[in-house]
Amino acid sequence: MAPESHGETRLATAGPWRLGLRRLRRNRTALAFGALFVLIVAFALAAPLWANGVADTGPNATHTLEKVEVDGETREVVNREGRPIGPLWLGAGGKFFLGADGRLGRDEMVRLMYGGRTSLFIGIVAALITLLLATALGLLAGYYGGWVDGVIARLLDVVWAFPVVLLGSALGLALATGGLQLGPLQLAGDSIWIPILIIGVVYTPYVARPVRGEVLALREKEFVEAAVSQGAGPLRVMFGELLPNLLSTLIVFFAISVANSMLLESLLSFLGVGVQPPNTSWGTMVAGGFELITSAPQLTVIPGAMLLLTVLAVNVFADGLRDALDPRAKLRLEAHAGTAEPEGTPV
Amino acid sequence: MRKLSVALAVLGLAAICLSLSSCGGGSGKEGGTLKATYASFPELDPTIAFTTEAWTAMYDTYLPLLTYAHAGGEAGTEVVPALAQDLPKISKDGKTYTLQMRKGLAYSDGTPVKASDFTATVERIFEMNSYGAPFFAGIVGAEKFAETKRGGIPGIETNDKTGEIVIHLTAPRGTFTNELATLYAAVLPADTPSKVLSREPPPATGPYEIVKVESGRGWSYRRNPQWEKSNAKLMPDLPSGHVDKIDVAVVRNKATSVNEIERGKSEWMQSIVPADLYNKVKDKYEGTQFRVERPLNVYYFWMNMDQPPFDDLKVRQAVNYAIDSAALERIYSGALVAAHQILPEGVPGYEPIDLYPHDMAKAEALIKQANPAEREVTVWTDNESPNDEAGAYYANVLEELGFDVNLKTIGADAYFGLILNPSTPDLDTGWANWFAEYPHPNNFFELQFSSEYIGNGNFAHFDEPKIDAKIAKLEKEQLGPEQEAEYAALDREIMELAPYAPYGTNTVSTFVSKEIDLDGVIFNPIFGQDLTSFQRK
Repeated sequence: MAPESHGETRLATAGPWRLGLRRLRRNRTALAFGALFVLIVAFALAAPLWANGVADTGPNATHTLEKVEVDGETREVVNREGRPIGPLWLGAGGKFFLGADGRLGRDEMVRLMYGGRTSLFIGIVAALITLLLATALGLLAGYYGGWVDGVIARLLDVVWAFPVVLLGSALGLALATGGLQLGPLQLAGDSIWIPILIIGVVYTPYVARPVRGEVLALREKEFVEAAVSQGAGPLRVMFGELLPNLLSTLIVFFAISVANSMLLESLLSFLGVGVQPPNTSWGTMVAGGFELITSAPQLTVIPGAMLLLTVLAVNVFADGLRDALDPRAKLRLEAHAGTAEPEGTPV
Repeated sequence: MRKLSVALAVLGLAAICLSLSSCGGGSGKEGGTLKATYASFPELDPTIAFTTEAWTAMYDTYLPLLTYAHAGGEAGTEVVPALAQDLPKISKDGKTYTLQMRKGLAYSDGTPVKASDFTATVERIFEMNSYGAPFFAGIVGAEKFAETKRGGIPGIETNDKTGEIVIHLTAPRGTFTNELATLYAAVLPADTPSKVLSREPPPATGPYEIVKVESGRGWSYRRNPQWEKSNAKLMPDLPSGHVDKIDVAVVRNKATSVNEIERGKSEWMQSIVPADLYNKVKDKYEGTQFRVERPLNVYYFWMNMDQPPFDDLKVRQAVNYAIDSAALERIYSGALVAAHQILPEGVPGYEPIDLYPHDMAKAEALIKQANPAEREVTVWTDNESPNDEAGAYYANVLEELGFDVNLKTIGADAYFGLILNPSTPDLDTGWANWFAEYPHPNNFFELQFSSEYIGNGNFAHFDEPKIDAKIAKLEKEQLGPEQEAEYAALDREIMELAPYAPYGTNTVSTFVSKEIDLDGVIFNPIFGQDLTSFQRK
């Protein structure tokens, strides 16, 4: 009996975040994929180091007519038939580690690393925009209800009515040529912020709706009533009482949104309406390599695999995070894992 | 004995003739359906269509008064009568063209073809702001009609009873016969609405008519019922075709088209074999199913001479020296014949020149001399491979010359509209190509280098009064050896001013299934593959 009561005392003093972290630490799969994501981020961040220190070239520098020494043998980066050199690994001191990207003879490894930076940047920033818009709209709709809720819900329905890819590519096509001019906000058609904004906006309803639902449930809780009775205004209730209680949900949504945004970016870029050349992303690399899929499949497979790994890593980690932060989900996870340790309701 | 030998000789000759007819060009199977693929859906309206794909699709469907001989190579550049009885009679002052519409012609819906339909066709060109409009702007009253879209074009007189068509020009125009043979001038019924009819193409006059259009997905041809009934007899020099039906499917992935031909699912792909498979297909099938074709075109980078840094001759010359055609040959996977001039081989007046052999040191020295204050440049290109890669290569070359480059890659459908629109910002330099609408050197100079076409076909904003005067003088004259020499000199003069950095002629390919007789397939240098020439072995 004693150990049990000792354990309950320890749990009662732990906060919800600490409990979540503890649960996450027990989920080794999620942690492994989280570590994989960190590695991928580090790989992308190391792009300038590799480009300047090893490959000695930039992501857009062309080498069509150049030759490289591979183990004492001189080879053309692009042969006379326009076929790029394959992976040289360390045969040329790290140059063309993954070969050349096509007839322009750009270093595939350098582009992969820089492309990763773009893909990750778009994924993270677009997810932040989604979260920002969705939280604001969800809070307003859920807290005020009535006509405010009606207007916001219909607005979200309009966006929701279109398939994400269709809406994203239509917006991308329209903005890729003319750019975006919204009052003081002026973006050129080839700006990386165009796909970021498109992705951020099209995913907003998918997060705003559940946030609104959660706010609807939370606003009936006693702590909200207590705050109102103490004279707290709507803004204070929304941002001081409701938002902190939404944080665990938002963190999970953020992680999922990063993965979804990266996937949509790659799809839009593959269709030619996402990241515009010479900017490179894994999506543009897959699209660029697709033409050479029979003679140089690595140009499609490698960036595609990087994308797959990143999205998988983020999704599995997000899943673990949800299980850790959502008390309703934790029971499911623990029952499945067969653990008997009591958790109790955090105090 | 003598009679016997004569009889034997006759029999022998007959046997030779029979054997020749069984294995020669006309010996294949007649009828059946040709299955073909296109990589994109072209405009199927002759008045507005301006791409090679569209012209190929309508070469055997919509006939102008004149057309180009159904032949390949130089023979295919000869203008021959189509709906008109003969080539035009040109007045001594070169300003009046008289033609005679053949009597008894009918459209595929049975409507008789009338001389006055030609007037309506030219009016439709202006009503729809067709790219062909500049070719007919020299007709008396055409410019006013282009502005008002009302009141008809008084410079065209027609007589439906006699079939006579008289065209009055404001000034002599040596290229007008060629222009009458462009697809823009394909005669349509007078009541054809002035709207794009790609989804419901107007009735045809040629051997085939377009039916069953599924926008974006494909279309079909069948034999024009009026062709055999009346038109074929009246135009005996034009071929009737071998297959009864042609089904065209739009297959955007060119590798899939190659695969379908290899598996016998399709018999011809209109698009070129993609770069990735080009050499493999060439090595395996050249001579039996694959042939390299050479249309009349020039690929180049234009430089806007209106604004810095390309308003400086030294900068433009430096760019010309810096461009390495050898690199571009690789980028085009060998489907490019390097050249450094405006006129491509095959066009009258062509004389090979190369004023700017690749020399990076010279290019850098010229930039040093010019020392342009403006170093930020925007490079434009379309997103079709390998033009996008050519644009990226060019951007890299400019960076090597010390410019700060912003590369803009635009969708191929919108590209030319965008770079021709003067209100588009930052039109500094970019990629473009020019395919001959007719095999006359003027077609390469007038629209691209006359100052009046700035914002139309003059990408470089080239404005040189001397060159304007020469183009204006030459366009009035009928082409002869003297004019050809003058066009060759014009090519050199323009290249000395370096408004473009031309890098070559792009070749295309004909790839057919093993069932099709490749030798019989005609590639016309203006219209591309001639659908009437496809025949099963």
